[in-house]
Amino acid sequence: MISLNDELKKELIELASEKNIFLEGNILKIINADGDHEFSDYIESSINRDKESRKKRLEITKTIQQQNKELIEWKAHNEQLNIDLQEALAASEKAKQLAENDLDVLQKRAQYELVGSIVKVALWVICGVGIITSMLFSVTLFMDIENKTIESSWSNMFSILLTNSFSIVGTIMGVKYASDKKGRGKCKCDD
Amino acid sequence: MIDSILLVDDENLFHLVFEDACSLLDIALNLKAINSADEAEKYFADLVKENKTKPDCIFVDLNIIGSSFDGIELVRRINFEHGDGVVIGIISSSDDEQEQAKALKAGAQFWIIKSDEIEPRLEDFVKDFEGYETRTGPFKVYK
Repeated sequence: MISLNDELKKELIELASEKNIFLEGNILKIINADGDHEFSDYIESSINRDKESRKKRLEITKTIQQQNKELIEWKAHNEQLNIDLQEALAASEKAKQLAENDLDVLQKRAQYELVGSIVKVALWVICGVGIITSMLFSVTLFMDIENKTIESSWSNMFSILLTNSFSIVGTIMGVKYASDKKGRGKCKCDD
Repeated sequence: MIDSILLVDDENLFHLVFEDACSLLDIALNLKAINSADEAEKYFADLVKENKTKPDCIFVDLNIIGSSFDGIELVRRINFEHGDGVVIGIISSSDDEQEQAKALKAGAQFWIIKSDEIEPRLEDFVKDFEGYETRTGPFKVYK
């Protein structure tokens, strides 16, 4: 415990009454009033003021501490949400890529089926026309009928049919070759 | 009343809470707060070098962020190197019994659960402080 002289005690009391300035902190706990009632009252009121301000500060600090805790929890929650979102985004990207691949395959299959149908129809038409004109030409030959017109027609027809059929087959082969090459190239890119 | 207390905790706001709570409850006259275990170790080394008085009681946080070792390791080091007459324990929001057992093994004398209402626990702790000083009080968890 420490003791103060009378002059200092008086100055402290005057400072408190005139300017409302009081001693603060733990020093108040070790000052001895030495039986001076006036100074004892001063010390008591200083301690009470100090306690009041500390109580207020403690409440504010606790509130801030609580808010900080909540903020930290929110931050962690948000970070987890972000991670979940990123994972969901990656999963949806993967699913989109798979769907695109499936669509590509489906489109190709549809194209091949269409090309197949066209080829079938074209071959039937070519064969049909060829057979019919050949039969007509054969009939004119066997029956010894005037066949100049049908002969030239048969010859022209066959040359046109042959040319066209080679052209069709060539086009189909070309399309198929191009499609295969494109497919292989795409696979390499995906790898 | 305890003459001097050392608090080792990374949370600055808790320093203020602890200081005000100690002051309001007339627990300590002098309180020093340190942010990391490394700083605390250096502080003790300096005290020994300069032949200064050690704190009467040390409160150590369990997980001191920004330190190269945790609170239990700090308790162990202080006890091993400077433990003579120093009351030391953990102050943490954790109530993990395994950690408490480790702290006891490292030489901690008490474990105070850190929460919004720290004052009643500190009051109970002060009542038992004499037992800790004389090394007769058992390890206790203040919940």
